[in-house]
Amino acid sequence: MHFSEDDLREALKRKDPGEGFTQRLMARVNQSKAEALAQPVTKKVNGKFLSWWMHRPAWAVAVVAMLLLAVGIGGYQYSEYRHAEENRIARMKQQQLQREAERARDQAIMALEIARAKMNHVLQHAQLQAEPNDKIRRERL
Amino acid sequence: MEQTAAFEDDRLKLALTRALTGDAQAFADLVREHQGMVFSIAYHFLQDRSLAEDLAQEVFLELFQSIDRIQSPAHLTYWLRKVTSNRCIDQGRKKYRRREMALEEAPEPVTASGHADPMLLDRLQQSLATLPEKQRMVVIMRFQEGLGPAEIAEVLEMPVNTVKSTLHRSLADLRKGLTRKIREVRYAFF
Repeated sequence: MHFSEDDLREALKRKDPGEGFTQRLMARVNQSKAEALAQPVTKKVNGKFLSWWMHRPAWAVAVVAMLLLAVGIGGYQYSEYRHAEENRIARMKQQQLQREAERARDQAIMALEIARAKMNHVLQHAQLQAEPNDKIRRERL
Repeated sequence: MEQTAAFEDDRLKLALTRALTGDAQAFADLVREHQGMVFSIAYHFLQDRSLAEDLAQEVFLELFQSIDRIQSPAHLTYWLRKVTSNRCIDQGRKKYRRREMALEEAPEPVTASGHADPMLLDRLQQSLATLPEKQRMVVIMRFQEGLGPAEIAEVLEMPVNTVKSTLHRSLADLRKGLTRKIREVRYAFF
């Protein structure tokens, strides 16, 4: 079946919305006016803000994607920072333990030195007491 | 004829100026002047009177809230076409849900007066409803509103060449759709 452009114009001729369209609309306008007066300004701004985004889904998706990317990058950087910080603390603890171990070793060596000196001293005294000859004692001393 | 057009333009300018100052009667005059255009775009696109009326009312409510941005009667027409087409395409993309309406609320149907075959017009409208959203809106802008490709491109934010090719493809699709419908009718009969 063929149709002309005039047929299409006829099929798409303007139609009237019918009686009462303007009255119904003006009633809604008055209602929205009353609601706007009753609502605080911040709520209106939020509504406009939301409707702006709802009419631009591509923008909303792009912004959400950017936010997710930023959160991802931020999260990754924070985890890297935490990891480095934990390593640094572990290294510091290890160094501290090493220093303490060295100090303990030095103290042990010093204690052994003192004990050795005391033992030598006691041994010499004991030998002197066992040999009463002064000459020999003096020679030995 | 030119005098009438100039007088009409002056009347609309005056109504717009008064509406900008918050005059509800002037706004109602603007609505009466443009309701046929807005409702028809929505009706031809959605093929549902109640949805079309809802959408037209939403468009005028948005106009009421943004009236201070309108600079002239021509800008008003352009703005209404643009907002209506955007809303129609959004509505078309959503799931088509039919809203029930009380019989007494429903507006009276308006009969088409013309010389063309009513069955052909009915089939044309049915075939139009099967076109994708953008194609459907291009056809409505061209044949309901009588806009040229450049004007359609401006309203629908498309390149002019895309409008031309879309229009060409839409007419071809409409012809194919009509032929298919005729074949279906023939098979049903024989």
